[in-house]
Amino acid sequence: MSDQTHIPAGHDLAPGEEEQHSVGERILGYVVGLVLALLLTATSFFIAGTDLVWQPSIPVALIVLAIAQMGVHLVFFLHITTGPDNTNNVLALAFGLLIVFLVVGGTVWIMAHLNANMPPMDQIMMRQ
Amino acid sequence: MLGKLDWSAIPFDQPIPLVAGAMVLVAILGVLAWVVVKGHLPYLWSEWITSVDHKRIGVMYILLASVMLLRGGSDAIMMRIQQAVAYQSQGYLPPEHYNQIFSAHGTIMIFFVAMPFVIGLMNLIVPLQLGVRDVAFPTLNSVGFWLTATGALLVNISLVVGEFARTGWLAFPPLSELSYSPGVGVDYYAWSLQISGVGTLVAGINLVTTVLKLRTKGMNYLRMPMFCWTTLASNLLIVAAFPILTATLAMLLLDRYLGFHFFTNEAGGNVMMFMNLIWAWGHPEVYILVLPAFGIFSEVVSTFSGKALFGYRSMVLATMAICVISFMVWLHHFFTMGAGPDVNAIFGIASMIIAIPTGVKIYNWLFTMYGGRIRFATPMLWSVGFMVTFIIGGLTGVLVAVPPADFMLHNSMFLVAHFHNVIIGGVLFGAFAGFEYWFPKAFGFRLDERWGKAAFWFTFTGFYVTFMPLYIAGMLGMTRRMQHYDVAAWRPWMIVAAVGMAVLTIGVICQIVQLVVSIRNREALRDRTGDPWDGRSLEWATSSPPPVFNFAFNPDVRGEDAYWEMKAHARQQSFEHEEPEYQDIEMPRNSPTGFVCAFFATIMGFALIWHIWWMVILGGIGAFATFVVFAWRDHDEYVIPAEEVARIDRINIEERRSLVSMAGAV
Repeated sequence: MSDQTHIPAGHDLAPGEEEQHSVGERILGYVVGLVLALLLTATSFFIAGTDLVWQPSIPVALIVLAIAQMGVHLVFFLHITTGPDNTNNVLALAFGLLIVFLVVGGTVWIMAHLNANMPPMDQIMMRQ
Repeated sequence: MLGKLDWSAIPFDQPIPLVAGAMVLVAILGVLAWVVVKGHLPYLWSEWITSVDHKRIGVMYILLASVMLLRGGSDAIMMRIQQAVAYQSQGYLPPEHYNQIFSAHGTIMIFFVAMPFVIGLMNLIVPLQLGVRDVAFPTLNSVGFWLTATGALLVNISLVVGEFARTGWLAFPPLSELSYSPGVGVDYYAWSLQISGVGTLVAGINLVTTVLKLRTKGMNYLRMPMFCWTTLASNLLIVAAFPILTATLAMLLLDRYLGFHFFTNEAGGNVMMFMNLIWAWGHPEVYILVLPAFGIFSEVVSTFSGKALFGYRSMVLATMAICVISFMVWLHHFFTMGAGPDVNAIFGIASMIIAIPTGVKIYNWLFTMYGGRIRFATPMLWSVGFMVTFIIGGLTGVLVAVPPADFMLHNSMFLVAHFHNVIIGGVLFGAFAGFEYWFPKAFGFRLDERWGKAAFWFTFTGFYVTFMPLYIAGMLGMTRRMQHYDVAAWRPWMIVAAVGMAVLTIGVICQIVQLVVSIRNREALRDRTGDPWDGRSLEWATSSPPPVFNFAFNPDVRGEDAYWEMKAHARQQSFEHEEPEYQDIEMPRNSPTGFVCAFFATIMGFALIWHIWWMVILGGIGAFATFVVFAWRDHDEYVIPAEEVARIDRINIEERRSLVSMAGAV
């Protein structure tokens, strides 16, 4: 089927497909990614157990570190870039994030309001 | 040894399913015997069952959908008769059988009629419209089809072995949990949807990739025919939504098989979570079905009006807007669940907003027709019938999107009338329009117009006579899924609906007669040029039926309505044609992977339903081994030599030229 892939304007690559990179360059990329990922993981474990920082900030810090971890994975292992050869991948990621946000966010919101038309049990008791 | 399976699984005491099952079995055995005796088996195996050609797979999808339409339609006839006679009496269907019938009707019509029909049409046409030789993953395509067929087979097996779910087409817990549905019905339902769901997801990934990555030279996104755009949107929704269905059903199955408590009444389960998740899939599903139908109408209206589609870019925008907004409205299926005014208001407004891009589409079709030379061929009749019917269905939809109104109409026959109004008027009419429109492309001869028009008018009339009374019954307070009732005011409307069902049935018979008549007159109806309707997009640029490689040369696209421009260009050039230099073409080899994999999936599904654990392992290993064998294949392509390509292409060019010169002489 290779003879028919006339890709119009802006040749783009599937995740994992790479061109014009020497083996050394690619290994370097993976090593940097691995180091960053390990660093972020270690920091998360450290933060979770430490009393060096203000306690209520710990969950926020963990969320930030988790998002950074995702970013590292996307860039170094899944090879998402901002280049023109990556438009489809970035769009797919954006669409996926949007849907996950809508479904998860919507679900949390809906499930939190399920009892909106019902007073809590103790109030029912009190009225009687 | 055989798990829960024993002789009591066969419903000897219920004559209806047993007789129906026996008749189907005799028919299947008869066809099989005929195939074997006549020696068609090798042809069937090598040309269809193992085929990875997108056109063949598309045809098989549509065949599956048509057969299942008859099954789902029989269920509908039985329900309408039951409600017509069950006034102050039990009718002729016992409650547990009636409940199985309406559950099977919904499940079959959505998953095994509407889905395969639209996926079949997309498979058949999209690569041709994009000007390419196949879909992105041909063998995966075959796997997807056969897994869908597995699901359909399991649903039909439940007719004779065991029972089907009595829970409605979405199997709401706690009714579908083990404590209230201890039988195998819900397991049949869940496993057939899990298996066919994998097939649908695979088809979705395949078609998204095809549209994004395989387009012929010059086919920019904004030059793609509308049907390709709606295919893209619909399949993006499949990829995003079907995993939610799979996960939700998986949780229900964990509850039933391993004692989990996701949706149970006790131990902290939450049934409302099931409603929430199933509709987070269920509402996008509605648009998965109707968007391709919108694409079909766009093609048909523009072709039979002899004009380019009005507002092409607004149409693209509307399609993609629907694609995203369809994920923001799912709560309107359970306004009455009690989420309170804030949540209900937001989702109500979102539900009304999604009517706007749909309205844009309606106006675009009307303006496409305005000032055009309209030919009322059968596909155009279905399209105009759709516009009228869908506007009515859409308006009742906006009505129930208003939460206070929904509190009155929820779960009533009004709702039943509404969704049949949009699904029959939208999806089914679209499927029939596409069927009539592209049939000549798939088989090389047109369908008989007189029978086609008769089918349209009977179906159209039958639809209104059946479903308008249901609106009224709903207003009179009749709830859905009633096995019998005692309210005299509902009775007349149920009888009218049953009469309407008879008219609808005549429409279906007309369609079958049309097919038979057309096959017998195929020489007279032959489409020699490959362009029977004076079409505008690239599928008409090749012969009917297209050669296995679709195009001898991948066409060079220079604008919207690619083939229309080519024709205009050719007329100016007065058909001077140089013999091009033909080249060898590589095509993917046929593969039994899909069929073998589905065979093992069927065994596994059946074994899971009946708790036959050794057979589950056997089926699982078989399906996995099939993939391993496929992954280790050596060569998966074969070459069609240039001379063969030249021979096939010259015939088509000759046909077209002789026709044009004849027209010129007149």
